Amino acid sequence: MTRREWRNLGIGLAFISPWIIGFLAFTLYPALASIYYSFCDYDVFSRPVWVGLLNYRDMFTDKVFWKSLYNTFYYTIFSLPLCLVVSLLIAVMLNQQIKARPVFRTVYFLPSLVPMVASAMIWLWILNGKYGILNYLLGLLGIQGPDWLADEKWTKPSLILMSVWGVGGSMVIYLAALQDVPRELYESAVIDGASAWQKFFHITIPMISPVIYFNLIMGIIGALQVFAQPYIMFGGGGPNRSALFYAVYLYQNAFDYYEMGFASAMAWVLFIIIFFLTWVATKTTRRHIYYAGE
Amino acid sequence: MADFRVAKIGVLLASAVAAVGLSGCVRPPSDRTPDGRIIVDYWEKWTGFEGEAMQAVVDDFNRSQNRIFVRKLTVSQIDRKMMLATAGGNPPDVAGLWSFNIPVYAEKGALTPLNRYLEEAGITADDYIPVFWELCSHEGFVWALPSTPATLALHWNKKMFREAGLDPEQPPRSIAELDRMAEQITLVVVERNGKKVKVHFSDLTEEEKRSKKFDIIQLGFVPTEPGWWNPMWGYWFGAGLWNGKDRITADSPENIEAFRWFQSYPKKYGLENLRRFGASFGNFASPQNPFLSGKVAMELQGVWMYNFIDKYAPQLEWGAAPFPAAHTDQFPYVTIAECDVLVIPRGARHVKEAFEFIRYVNTQPAMEKLCMGQRKFSPLSRMSEDFIRNHPNPYIKIFIEMARSPYVRTVPQTPIWMVLGDEMNAAVDRIFSLIETPAQALRTVQKRVQLRFDRERERWLKIRERRIAEWRGL
Amino acid sequence: MKERYYGRTVARFVLYTVLLAGSLVFLLPLAWMISTALKPIEQTMSMPPTWIPYRYFAEIDGRRMPVKKGETITEPSYVIYDSLLARRFVVPQSQVREGKLIRHDISGEIEEIPVRILEEIPASAQNPWVRVFPEKRISGREAKDQWWVVPVARLTRKVAPRWENFINAIRAMKYFPLYLKNTLILCFLTVIGTVFSSSLAAYGFSRIQWRGRNKVFLVALATMMIPFPVVMVPIYCMFRWLGWIGTLRPLWVGSFFAGAFNVFLLRQFFMTIPKDLSDAARIDGCSELRIYWQIMLPLCRPALMVVALFQFMFTWNDFLGPLIYLTDQKTFTLALGLQFFQSQHGGTEWHYLMAASTLVTLPIIVLFFFTQKTFIEGISMTGLKG
Repeated sequence: MTRREWRNLGIGLAFISPWIIGFLAFTLYPALASIYYSFCDYDVFSRPVWVGLLNYRDMFTDKVFWKSLYNTFYYTIFSLPLCLVVSLLIAVMLNQQIKARPVFRTVYFLPSLVPMVASAMIWLWILNGKYGILNYLLGLLGIQGPDWLADEKWTKPSLILMSVWGVGGSMVIYLAALQDVPRELYESAVIDGASAWQKFFHITIPMISPVIYFNLIMGIIGALQVFAQPYIMFGGGGPNRSALFYAVYLYQNAFDYYEMGFASAMAWVLFIIIFFLTWVATKTTRRHIYYAGE
Repeated sequence: MADFRVAKIGVLLASAVAAVGLSGCVRPPSDRTPDGRIIVDYWEKWTGFEGEAMQAVVDDFNRSQNRIFVRKLTVSQIDRKMMLATAGGNPPDVAGLWSFNIPVYAEKGALTPLNRYLEEAGITADDYIPVFWELCSHEGFVWALPSTPATLALHWNKKMFREAGLDPEQPPRSIAELDRMAEQITLVVVERNGKKVKVHFSDLTEEEKRSKKFDIIQLGFVPTEPGWWNPMWGYWFGAGLWNGKDRITADSPENIEAFRWFQSYPKKYGLENLRRFGASFGNFASPQNPFLSGKVAMELQGVWMYNFIDKYAPQLEWGAAPFPAAHTDQFPYVTIAECDVLVIPRGARHVKEAFEFIRYVNTQPAMEKLCMGQRKFSPLSRMSEDFIRNHPNPYIKIFIEMARSPYVRTVPQTPIWMVLGDEMNAAVDRIFSLIETPAQALRTVQKRVQLRFDRERERWLKIRERRIAEWRGL
Repeated sequence: MKERYYGRTVARFVLYTVLLAGSLVFLLPLAWMISTALKPIEQTMSMPPTWIPYRYFAEIDGRRMPVKKGETITEPSYVIYDSLLARRFVVPQSQVREGKLIRHDISGEIEEIPVRILEEIPASAQNPWVRVFPEKRISGREAKDQWWVVPVARLTRKVAPRWENFINAIRAMKYFPLYLKNTLILCFLTVIGTVFSSSLAAYGFSRIQWRGRNKVFLVALATMMIPFPVVMVPIYCMFRWLGWIGTLRPLWVGSFFAGAFNVFLLRQFFMTIPKDLSDAARIDGCSELRIYWQIMLPLCRPALMVVALFQFMFTWNDFLGPLIYLTDQKTFTLALGLQFFQSQHGGTEWHYLMAASTLVTLPIIVLFFFTQKTFIEGISMTGLKG
């Protein structure tokens, strides 16, 4: 390397040094330590003791672990597609030639701004079995609403419902992508006699496919780690642990039971699940994603 | 080259921020009083007169010397908060826990073993009533010293005995006698010839007993009131819940027998009748407490019950006696011992000073002052004559005698107790509600808890050696 | 032609209807929060629910006074006086016979209690009456006598939001000012930390050519994949080792070390700025730091605003971080303080809980209205560049 190259290397590293320090202290070291802890009995009070695969074996024979995993998948499987579709639908409607678009956009976006703790409070109140407004409104339609928060069949649907309320973020992302779709494509399609459905499936969807992919991946990562709402609304996991999510159980193990080794093992399993699902999502959608540059 | 230097400044800027943060933690937090005494932070759960009794002892200690100053703080949910603070690396120096916390917290490594300090101070097992020393020990180490102890006795209402035609000075001498007396005391309303009449349960016709068509208005005894020791009813039948080593014994024949007896109550008096009657019970600490208000004549209760009688029902005519066993030819009675304890959390900053305070509390005068203030008895093996003579509880001797007797038992001294207790309580509920037979319910407990126990035991055996070596070094 | 126009109008109509209905559904929870926050406690639990907080007035002893509604009476009843208990009661007329109240006691026996009838209430399902309590206690009357029975039809009402709920909620939360202070301190520090550290790193990743840059950047991107729980335990242990648990430090120190996501965002933006600008500056003898400070930062203000805004939101909303690191109530943030309040008083004082939730939500919404453009652009940017 020339002197100039050395100099540039030095300056470059100096500029990124905050990131380097952060990477070493808050990512690399913790990730390695957490792998090590996952093979240890570790309670933060005394030094970790190596126990081999015990944490992993106990985890896989722990019924509560499987229940939390089941709950998390249940939530993800219903909430993720629902949110993707609803937010896309709203975005498409807002992308029509309508009056007061900014007003509508703000209205749909607003709920996603509400801090998670506050939204948990609001929904606790709305879903209240006795005085909740939701059951009252259902009553007006002649439907006897369930006791959302106390009935183990309805705790997860409650949380799924809440997640749909917060789709504003991805809706805005879709909207921005929709507005970038060249008008000429639609105009030429109209000349070819394409129907609205055809336009939607053959132009809109492919053109915004990278954004759908982005929202999908973000959705997977977010849904599998959902913590604040179930933790606030259901504390230890709700009726019959029906709202005990993976991240909540992990938190309980780490900071209620001080089983740091077990919690680390759970964290790595979560990482593998997320990694695997992202990989699958990428594999299966890759052929369908259209990148303008390519 | 100038570039390089300036860029470096930027980096330093970022690191400086971290340094600012660090410097904050380097500054030692003030742990001294203005006159230079070391402050020992002491967290305790007691409020009210129990808290005042401890405060008086703390004040005495602070006056007795000029090196250490104990700062007592009342903390609710103390076990959880102590763990949180200890995990966060900022625990108090002394904490007042319950004896059943010790096995869990000791194995977790949240406590400081006291053996070294006890040896230096010359404190040994001989100084204590044996059961309380045992309650403070686990895996061959001593983790705490007692503060105030308790044992359980049968409390009975003499007036209700008299009204039922029983000798008010003669409590039952066996479980069978207890059952019989309970039937005689129990008062029900039953419809006879279209009129409602009040009769004693023992005077009901067989047909009326079978049909369960009556309302209970007073009860001789029911094992679920107050129900705080439901999992341990087997003790009175010679059962245990754990063999002390590797087996849970929830479904032993003795336990099954005990819970058959337990289930005989809803079967005899009618589950719905008992439930309806139970709904009229008030809060424990209120004049509406079923024992204090004369709704239930006999209860298994601790030495503290005297305080509540004194406070909410001073006119109550009551007695306390050992709660009789089922097979009195083997042993006459059983009691359960519990204990409040003082521990030094791991990572406490002033272990030596903290121990000095604990040691002071465990001297005979201080301990007697504390236990007198809380109306309990002293856990020390030596008790002054005055202490017993001046004690306001007329039955205090019985509680002490029971603690010293060979019939004293404790909850299983193992971390699995947390799970076992919960599972047992769930099973007890199903048994009392007549959903399952005792054998079915207890077998479920056995299976589940044994599995969990085996797993945790295996884990413990893997790390035991390392832990014990670590404790030795502390 | 006409048919087509007709079809389009129908489509428009459907579109607007769906959009409006959806808007209502999306706004309903927020409206319900604010509505509840402004009600007195008894109106939070009224069925059917009301949307607008009212104050009720009743004519009592010839004076119109504000009252709270109690239970509704829908059958002919008496107000009776039980001299044994020295209290007035409202009982159905069917239970009173010849000056005696007839009812069953605990054991099922029939009791006859002599009572005095004070007032006859000709209530029915069509003409309900209601028990009312004065909003402010009337002096000179005992607490047990602070009620009357009046016909529902004679009650008048006026819209009256209870603004004092906010003050009372703040009081009930005990340390609200401290929570707010802690949250603002954290927001300030994390925003400063994030903006500076990530723009520095982004500059290093985009404006300076150095060997291995792209490889290192790829590593930075890869770290975004690692979920927080994986690093949670060791980071906790690290802060414990430093003695920082229970302080605010664990919550802001990390932001001074450039998170990958923000670096990525800013890098994308920095790349769009023409190279010639900095080359010219370099020829003039400017140091890289000066180029960064005097040229890049001003040019990238919109992107920096986005990063700052998102960080502010994140810190304001963060729940898991404070939950793990904060142990003393006085160091809690608003989010954690609100949850703590709920776990202590949950289930009864919904009007306070909603008032507190409104207080936590409002600043974010106000902030959004002032920075709407940056906000929407920022979100679209994260999506498009992903």
